Amino acid sequence: MKKSFVVFWKRNLAFAKLAIVSNLEYRLNYFVDAVLQPTLTTGIEFLLWFAVFRGAQATEIAGFTREYYLSYALWAAFFARICTSWMYETRMIAEIDTGTINGLLTRPMSFYEYYFSQLMGYKFITTVVSITIPLMAIFLFKLPTKLERLPLAFALEFYYLILVHSISFIIASSAFYLNKVYSFTNAKNLVLWLLTGELLPLDLIPEPYRHIVISMPFSAGVFTPVGYLTGRLEITAIWESFISVTIGIVAVNCIGVLIWKQGLKAYAGTGA
Amino acid sequence: MLGQGHKMTTLLKYLKLYGAMFKTSLIADVEFRANFLSRLLSDILWYLAQILTFEVLFTHTQKIGDWNLLQMRVFLGLVFVVDGIYMVILSENMDQFSDKVRKGDLDLLLAKPVNSQFMLSLQKASTAAIGNLAIALIWFIYSIAHLPEFQWVRLLWLLVLIPCGLICLYSVRFMIASTAIIFARSENLQFIWWQIYRLGMRPDSIYVPWLKWILLTALPVGVIASVPARAILEPPQYGLFAWVIFLSVVLIYATNRFWNFALKFYSSASS
Repeated sequence: MKKSFVVFWKRNLAFAKLAIVSNLEYRLNYFVDAVLQPTLTTGIEFLLWFAVFRGAQATEIAGFTREYYLSYALWAAFFARICTSWMYETRMIAEIDTGTINGLLTRPMSFYEYYFSQLMGYKFITTVVSITIPLMAIFLFKLPTKLERLPLAFALEFYYLILVHSISFIIASSAFYLNKVYSFTNAKNLVLWLLTGELLPLDLIPEPYRHIVISMPFSAGVFTPVGYLTGRLEITAIWESFISVTIGIVAVNCIGVLIWKQGLKAYAGTGA
Repeated sequence: MLGQGHKMTTLLKYLKLYGAMFKTSLIADVEFRANFLSRLLSDILWYLAQILTFEVLFTHTQKIGDWNLLQMRVFLGLVFVVDGIYMVILSENMDQFSDKVRKGDLDLLLAKPVNSQFMLSLQKASTAAIGNLAIALIWFIYSIAHLPEFQWVRLLWLLVLIPCGLICLYSVRFMIASTAIIFARSENLQFIWWQIYRLGMRPDSIYVPWLKWILLTALPVGVIASVPARAILEPPQYGLFAWVIFLSVVLIYATNRFWNFALKFYSSASS
């Protein structure tokens, strides 16, 4: 039992390292992807919040000053970058769509873990590289951030990535049955864009929608960790998010296993 | 007189050619009906995200930039309409530009007895996006119908300003895409383009004066929706409108010059 876990761990560590090395291969591309894009996004969001406060002619909105919203926009762009899955989901679909999954099915590992560890490796290196931007910005602009809360915020974020990957697994598995599932990725990411709180703090949404949206596990992607980090939320919200994400992971994986098993039965081995 | 006749014949030839390419695209697109529906769904979600963001923000403020909620809805309607037209006519061609260069498809296009810029820019219409355009138009009409004391005659400005905005948008996008010939890997420039484009998806009045100036001149994404929106929401700013028309003429000319310049770097599929 112990030996099998060591083998499992070493194998997955190797997948994670593979993701780190392959992403750093094209450094300029990676720089644009992990640094420049979120920086520009944050800049645009900053300008919007400046205009909102100018228009409102108030020092506070929903009990928080402009600096809190700027801090939220800054960290939201950073966390949103971590919690979104485009690249690996597309690759997973392509494996099934083109039939290259055959090579993976014969190896002593699961399709799920192969891509999950790569996703984690990629997100780890992205976090390490891109965190310099919000850190520099909060010191430069003196934006409110409780840095001691960073570890727990990251713990929730990486736990949430299990849910993100499980959803990717469902979408990829549906490629066994359907053509053109690539567009599902786009639609799913747009839904998550709305529900994670990347666009704006979810507690600004009027009731009863606010309660519904915050209760969903997707708020753990951006709103809860960023709200906690910027002092908008307290630790109870983090624990509640852990619970909702756990429920989400269980539910999504039950569906995922079902679709995967049925898909494998229907799969002829020549691409879907 | 003979020269004018020749120009007319050429124009008709290109119009017929575009008609044929549009028809071919439509036939190819209706083959994948699920794709049509999923694109529609994705874009409805994108529209919803934009609308909800501003609807929520306006529950906490009366104005953003120069506009109130009703005016912002009109602005968003224009963003959706312009984006819809761009998606139908140009987006797929621009997105596949670097692939065409890399895979050698450009060789075939250069060998055809028609203008290569025309072929590269308009070969594939994304007819699956027509549904999106219809939804965008419905939202736009809904939003202007709710404007108090709206002067419908102002819509005539859109007949000039939307095409000019699209020309500016196309020109900048085309020049950025053309760098795929000059540089081996220009994907990064394409990524940066999307961030610049996003600036045009917000009203120009939220930007600081120097940035607003840049967005109306050097990187003219501000003319895509903000200027047409001003034309129907505010008293006419003739100087600004004249500038947009002038800019579109200059930029379309510049694209052609830049394209010919970029082609000098092209050394077939290995480029």
